[in-house]
Amino acid sequence: MDAIRIQNLVKKYGLKTAVDGLSLSVAAGTMFGFLGPNGSGKSTTIGCLTGLLDPTAGQVEILGHRFDADSADLKRRMGVMPETLGLFEPLRAHEFLAFVGRMYGLDEGSVRTRVTELLDALELTDSSKTLADYSTGMRKRVAFAAAVIHSPDVLFLDEPFESIDPAGVALMKEWLNRYVKQGRTVFLTSHVLETVERLCQEVAIIATPGKLVWQGDITTFGREGAIQYDGQEFDALEPLFLHLTGERHVDLKWL
Amino acid sequence: MDFQLIRHLIGLRYRLLWAKTRTRSGKIALFMAGYLLFVLVAVFFAIVGAGGGMVAVRSGQAERIAQGILTALFTSATVTCVLLGFGMNEVFSDTELRRFPLKAVERRFARHFAGIVDPFWFLFLALYLGLALGLYLFGAGSLVLGVIAVLALFVCNYLAAQVVGRAMERIMQQKGGSLLLPLIIMVVCFLPSVAMPMLKKHAGAGKVVLRVLAFTPSFGAGTLMTRTGPAAFAGVWPIAWWGLGLTVALVILEKRPPRIRVAQTTRIRWDTPYARAAKIFGPRYAPLVEHWLLFLFRCKRFRIAYVMSLPLIPFLLFMWTKQAARADPFATAMGVFAIAGLAPAAAFLVNQFGYVGSGFRRYFLFPMDPAAALRASSVTLMALCSVYVGLAAFAWVLFAPGAWGARGIVMLLASGVFGLCFFHGVGLWTTLYGARRADPNKTMGNDLSLVGNVVVVGGMMAMLIGPMTVGQFHKGLIAPDRWLVAVGLAALAACFYLFSLRSAPAILSSRREALLAVLERKA
Repeated sequence: MDAIRIQNLVKKYGLKTAVDGLSLSVAAGTMFGFLGPNGSGKSTTIGCLTGLLDPTAGQVEILGHRFDADSADLKRRMGVMPETLGLFEPLRAHEFLAFVGRMYGLDEGSVRTRVTELLDALELTDSSKTLADYSTGMRKRVAFAAAVIHSPDVLFLDEPFESIDPAGVALMKEWLNRYVKQGRTVFLTSHVLETVERLCQEVAIIATPGKLVWQGDITTFGREGAIQYDGQEFDALEPLFLHLTGERHVDLKWL
Repeated sequence: MDFQLIRHLIGLRYRLLWAKTRTRSGKIALFMAGYLLFVLVAVFFAIVGAGGGMVAVRSGQAERIAQGILTALFTSATVTCVLLGFGMNEVFSDTELRRFPLKAVERRFARHFAGIVDPFWFLFLALYLGLALGLYLFGAGSLVLGVIAVLALFVCNYLAAQVVGRAMERIMQQKGGSLLLPLIIMVVCFLPSVAMPMLKKHAGAGKVVLRVLAFTPSFGAGTLMTRTGPAAFAGVWPIAWWGLGLTVALVILEKRPPRIRVAQTTRIRWDTPYARAAKIFGPRYAPLVEHWLLFLFRCKRFRIAYVMSLPLIPFLLFMWTKQAARADPFATAMGVFAIAGLAPAAAFLVNQFGYVGSGFRRYFLFPMDPAAALRASSVTLMALCSVYVGLAAFAWVLFAPGAWGARGIVMLLASGVFGLCFFHGVGLWTTLYGARRADPNKTMGNDLSLVGNVVVVGGMMAMLIGPMTVGQFHKGLIAPDRWLVAVGLAALAACFYLFSLRSAPAILSSRREALLAVLERKA
């Protein structure tokens, strides 16, 4: 079964097209990488998939059901770590996570247990600090904890690993791998292609403005194999990505 | 001093102002109209200032009257600045300026120069200049010395507002600061009304006060404006000393920012008073109300505004009413009761999502109707403001018992309910159509949109002046025997609030993308 299915998704802001007829599907139990250069429409696509933005055209299905901004039952089964993190800065980490847990319908006992466990695991135990006092990496950890606290079936993570220290990233990867093995789905964006290559089974690459240019299995790279595309052979994700999105060489004489 | 770079930064300040305006449709026209109005007001103020000069000369006490006018202007500018936040916005922070090749002194100069060229300050400059011009035209002073005095006093005024604002921020950060600050404000507010009768009783005391006031910058500027020759220079010293002292105080306050108090315990507390209070609102709204209570009481801006209302409401209730005794004290008190429902959380109730920043998107990710977040926020703010209506009624019963009987109290309470319902209803609509991203930790500055300012400042002015004016021209029109009319108006306002609470949040979803763009600074 497809956990996520997008058909001809179009998102326009006035005359500007951010996503242009995007169609793709993600099978349940997949760690899916959604890649593209800056401004190619990744976050806009995630916005449409999570109910933040209304698509101009096209259709989105999550876990086999048609999804729109009012699909509360589906939202309960989704976890989102937005690009802007979506934190309430004057709150403390445990207060924020407890609020998120309650909003997803967790009972008081589960909220307290899960918040304590998450904060311990992610080393966020200093309850005297507000989220505004946290470093960027710590804030990312809190946003990640908020995305998983209700144990969702589909996780949308917008650049989850950037700014987090290696130990934190390793822990998150471990959790995500176990999560996917349980048949649940992760849809993530990242600019760290090495991480995506090691973590994801499948990848979609989009180019500006939100057009799908390639989608496929990348487990071949892990088996020291290569991917054939456009008559060329690519032995890693990075050269394939650069080939698809346009590698640039600009020489600044004064630099 | 790298004046060229500083000049570019000032230019950037105005380009940013323009950029902010042109990105929103229809705002350019509004901006032009606003500035046209600003020019008209500045001209009007200059004429008023010149009129003051004329009165001063004709009375034969040019120096004393000029000093009085300047002191009043100086105090009004400082109070308006600190309380309403106009002219206190920091355009560039020191951290932002650190990316440029500027020394610490240059950064400070650039920051404050960008601050003083704020349109708000120009209004007071126009008033000061108008007075100097008036004095010169009517032969009571030199134009050159007058302009020098105005510029020096203008700088002192800006510095004083900055120092007072920062000192208040520092007091709030101290242990017990949230109690100490309202106490200080209450003393400052009530001092003139207590001191005036005493001064009238003791003839010698007035002279002592005047002798002390002679050392203030506004008295110095008055002297400099009205005297000629070497005698004028007696006014230079107070301005110079105050200018120097305020600069040193500002530098010290900026160099040693208040230490943020952190809780000593690292134990997580689950059963908080916020959680217990929120339970009143039922299981559906309790988590949201608890979240709003936590959020609001953690925002420095909210805490300061809420705490400052504690001395403000009794001050308005008793002093303003006393001032307006010639008009109609009861009508004036009616206006103050209406303000009690707005003042404690004014900036928040007209911009309920403005302070949550990117957290705003969470309301759309949760499996709930996003409208519930706006309803919960509005109801929480209303509950918090209603405490002040209750306090005002309690103070009235305690200190003015039986003045207008039970009907009077019912009428005043009805006015409080009217203010609560009307302003909170309007607040729901301005939250949707006049939102603006604001910093919850900034304690100074005005970060409301144009619409927000119109509602807050216009609402307060209308409630302060409106009933008083009606009472003055139609004595008895606002009187306890018309209590039913007040109850009727309160009921109408309650209907308006209920209608807004039902309809406004319903359009939140359709305004979602526009609000996201504003609150995440993409518009």
